[in-house]
Amino acid sequence: MKSSKSPHSTSRRQIIKGAAAAGLAQIASPFVWSARAADNVKFGLDNPLTGVYAELGKNEQIGCELAIAEINAKGGILGRQVELLVEDSTSADTGTAVQKGRKLIERDKVDFLLGNVNSAMAIALGDLSNELKTLQIVTGGHTDSVTGTDCHWNVFRVCNTTRMETNAVAKTLFDKYGKKWYFITPDYAFGHTLQQGFEASLKEFGGTELGADLSPLGTTDYSAYLIKAQAANPDVIILLQAGDDAVNVLKQAVQFGLDKKFHIAGAQQELEVLNGLPPNARIGTWVFEWYWKQPGVPHLDEFVSAIRKRTGGKVPTARHWFGHVAVWSCALVANQEKTLDAVKLAKALENFKLPPEVALMPNDPFYRAGDHQLMPSLYVGEAMEHGAEPEDLFHVSQVVKGTDAALPVADTGCHLKWPT
Amino acid sequence: MTQLVLFNLFNGLIIGAFYALMALGLSLILNLSGVINFAHGGFLAIGGYLAYMLMPQIGFWGALAVAPILTALIGIAAERLFIRRVYGRDPLYSLLLTFGLAFMIEDGTRFIWGASTVPFAVPSYLSSSLSNEFFFLTGYRVFMVALVIAAVAALFLILGQTRLGMRIRAGTLDLETVSVLGINVRILRNVNFGLGIYLAGLAGVLAAGMLGLQPTIGSSLIMPSFVAIIVGGLGSLPGTLLGGLLIGAASGVVTVFYPSASEAVIYVMMALVLLVRPHGLLGEEGRF
Repeated sequence: MKSSKSPHSTSRRQIIKGAAAAGLAQIASPFVWSARAADNVKFGLDNPLTGVYAELGKNEQIGCELAIAEINAKGGILGRQVELLVEDSTSADTGTAVQKGRKLIERDKVDFLLGNVNSAMAIALGDLSNELKTLQIVTGGHTDSVTGTDCHWNVFRVCNTTRMETNAVAKTLFDKYGKKWYFITPDYAFGHTLQQGFEASLKEFGGTELGADLSPLGTTDYSAYLIKAQAANPDVIILLQAGDDAVNVLKQAVQFGLDKKFHIAGAQQELEVLNGLPPNARIGTWVFEWYWKQPGVPHLDEFVSAIRKRTGGKVPTARHWFGHVAVWSCALVANQEKTLDAVKLAKALENFKLPPEVALMPNDPFYRAGDHQLMPSLYVGEAMEHGAEPEDLFHVSQVVKGTDAALPVADTGCHLKWPT
Repeated sequence: MTQLVLFNLFNGLIIGAFYALMALGLSLILNLSGVINFAHGGFLAIGGYLAYMLMPQIGFWGALAVAPILTALIGIAAERLFIRRVYGRDPLYSLLLTFGLAFMIEDGTRFIWGASTVPFAVPSYLSSSLSNEFFFLTGYRVFMVALVIAAVAALFLILGQTRLGMRIRAGTLDLETVSVLGINVRILRNVNFGLGIYLAGLAGVLAAGMLGLQPTIGSSLIMPSFVAIIVGGLGSLPGTLLGGLLIGAASGVVTVFYPSASEAVIYVMMALVLLVRPHGLLGEEGRF
């Protein structure tokens, strides 16, 4: 007898294949192309334009583009115009990021490689650029090993190490809010190293870790984690999520009223996240890597208004600053040394101090010789529902020097091997 | 520990109800039209963004009522313009089409509302806990479950008691005969698609109140919904509902013991169900 199924019915196998295809879609990415000229000095930005880090990657790109325009207006590098080639690394597929990095260096012949927001990709690209002897500035991957055990002579980093961030805020949390902490940690390199940093501080101060749970990247529902954290009854719940994950966990923590019972805190916080939160969920103690409101810092207002022009009026975030600093660092040192030779430029970048118009922060940030980590200022403070201006959502209560927050070079595990 | 497991089980059921709402829409479209709608997550996002846009004018409740209807209208238009053309062809066509549509919608929302997460606030009386002990029972979550129950009841009522529902059910079983009996199958499919997308739009407004509203909000929720359909059994709407509740509960309970596997567990569950009962828990044997 003929089965009574619909003529266009679909098999279970097709559904499963389809579901697999949906998974693949997460790593598919658009092709980004820009016009180029052969004699230009080229920067290759290999950064996420799709997926969970798309917004952060895009903001770094805007910072890079502003720097490129400024450099060209001032005569370029070694008298040549400068251009930016952009590739989408995706947010989670390291293989794609490396493939795009290889394309930028080998086929497009970029002089400088920039990226990546994702820590694992930053490490993988560091290995690649080292193999191909290209100067790389890591714009936004925070895990310690980029300028620690995985460091390279050709790799410099603008954003902080995770340890710098935890060191900057740990003492405040311990002294002000209590010694029993509970961690909810994203399950990848960035989260792991942040937690390790806090654990080291907690041990040093004599505090107690009541528990720690790993949440997969891209978790949407954090209620089960928050239920566990509440049951442990800590003084401080440390949330280490970034990007959209941070929005989700904070929104849910506030809905559960956990902010009324415990102190909510963490390390890195970004304006992108606070902007995406409803006002009542803008809570907690955090570290900002750069902030757009810093009274008395020279050239800051020019930068803010230049970025506003490129973002439809939005203020710059730390990500814009990273991109801007990364491109300018290469340009400044190349013009100073009058060469594009990667080894010579890497040597010159060691202890290179950013001029005020690029630094846009106090305490004269510089690239530390020995691990190639920028030593900037770190901004410890509290998220605010509303500030004096619509995008003023963070109250800076303390500015910490990078050199005070960073581990000594000897403890980073970095041993630079220069080419012979 | 028992209390923690019970808390999580209960909480998992709340989340599961939400997955079920999304999966029911997917299932409705799949059953009648044979289309695996990958763009479902995209429509969910549209629902959320429309509500976000409407809220300053008509408030949360107004937006909750209007946004899913507008989303359904967009869905109906999409069906007429695109989806209709691939009926009767190999399912690969509809797969590819909706796959592309999902990208178009995601980039479209990014273009219109930006890549940044937008702040979507629910009324303050909904966004606090109802009791100190059961703190995870927020007004919003209870409301969400109540709404899901109401929506599911309404859907089953429509399918079971109305002429339209009868036609949809009949079409699911044998579309050709339904067509021969003089029912306009084109309109039937169009309305059915709109109904499915209405559920996606509703899920979108609810999700935006709980999660960050950004262009990828749908893609992070679509996989659990597919899993709910497969676990529950293709072709069975009660199965889809059960699948959604089960994966929500499983994910919640696993978080107590091994949190980093809280997402993986739903796929393990799917694999187990496929091994032991390939047509799903309540799926009709031999139907697919």
